[in-house]
Amino acid sequence: MALRPKAPLLAGVHRKLVLQREISRLLSPLTIPVMGIALRWVLGYRIENLRGFRREYRRVCLKRDGPLMICANHLTMIDSLVIAWALGSPCWYFRHFRTLPWNVPERSIFAATHFMRMAIYALKCLPVERGGNRLEVTEVLFRLAHAVSNHEVAMIFPEAGRSRTGRVDPDSVASGVGRIYRSVPNCTVICVYLRGDHQDGYSDMPVRGEFFRGSVSAIEPKTSYRGLRASRDIARQIAQRLANMEQEYFDDRK
Amino acid sequence: MDQTEIFDRVVKILTPYVKSQEALEGASLATHILDELKVNSARLVDVVLEFEDAFDIEIDDDDVDKVETVGNAVELIEAKIG
Repeated sequence: MALRPKAPLLAGVHRKLVLQREISRLLSPLTIPVMGIALRWVLGYRIENLRGFRREYRRVCLKRDGPLMICANHLTMIDSLVIAWALGSPCWYFRHFRTLPWNVPERSIFAATHFMRMAIYALKCLPVERGGNRLEVTEVLFRLAHAVSNHEVAMIFPEAGRSRTGRVDPDSVASGVGRIYRSVPNCTVICVYLRGDHQDGYSDMPVRGEFFRGSVSAIEPKTSYRGLRASRDIARQIAQRLANMEQEYFDDRK
Repeated sequence: MDQTEIFDRVVKILTPYVKSQEALEGASLATHILDELKVNSARLVDVVLEFEDAFDIEIDDDDVDKVETVGNAVELIEAKIG
């Protein structure tokens, strides 16, 4: 099966993840409120039915005892922050720290300086160079899969990068999300579609004062394929769900 | 099937995904698929799935990580064909 390393490597990965998680947890009374304040009061972002978003995430986290993975559409560089804010209050994350999702930000953007590397380390991030060395990308995917299999929550964007067309395209997804899913038995995928009212296409940042709308739904994709084709099929099913949620978003706004 | 024949078919499969046609014309076993031919990394999965169909083989996720050059692809296909 995909993403299964040898035992010594597994032990090393586990130690590193546990260390990072515990440092993140120690710093979370500072980092989580700061992020919330920055998004809500500095950038002025608001989310439609924020309570509903958080209630649904809480419901899935508490109801499903197994591993969870968040898959979302990707339009701006700070989507993962906005989504994490949308899904849980600081109090919820303090009490259920495992549900603060691990992220895989682009290394060249978010790990460019020592300060940024420390900051993203404290925010449960595993930087990756998209399109970089295949083995390094796979190692990061493995770390994520290991985190998910240990009942941590990971967030991953099936399209890998920001949607260049501004729309979710199931035909253009990579297979990474499918590889992770296939490596973690009984995994549930929480699909999150979130989009700002002013977000016509992709951009670096949402506009100041942006108002986000969207939805959350849980799926457990199945496939009859094997090997790489199975990973691709799973990734496409997840992206298709996101595309359907996107269609509902635009239908609701007509 | 010999290595030259596999190489020719691999290059033919790569053609629609290659952004640098110039690099493709001078492609050899050492040519790097992502760096030199400028194939999008997400599209590499499509390429490998086309290898599966064209050569009637099954390739696992882990095998894809080993495909960096045209030569790696040829070797992988040779190994799968047996």
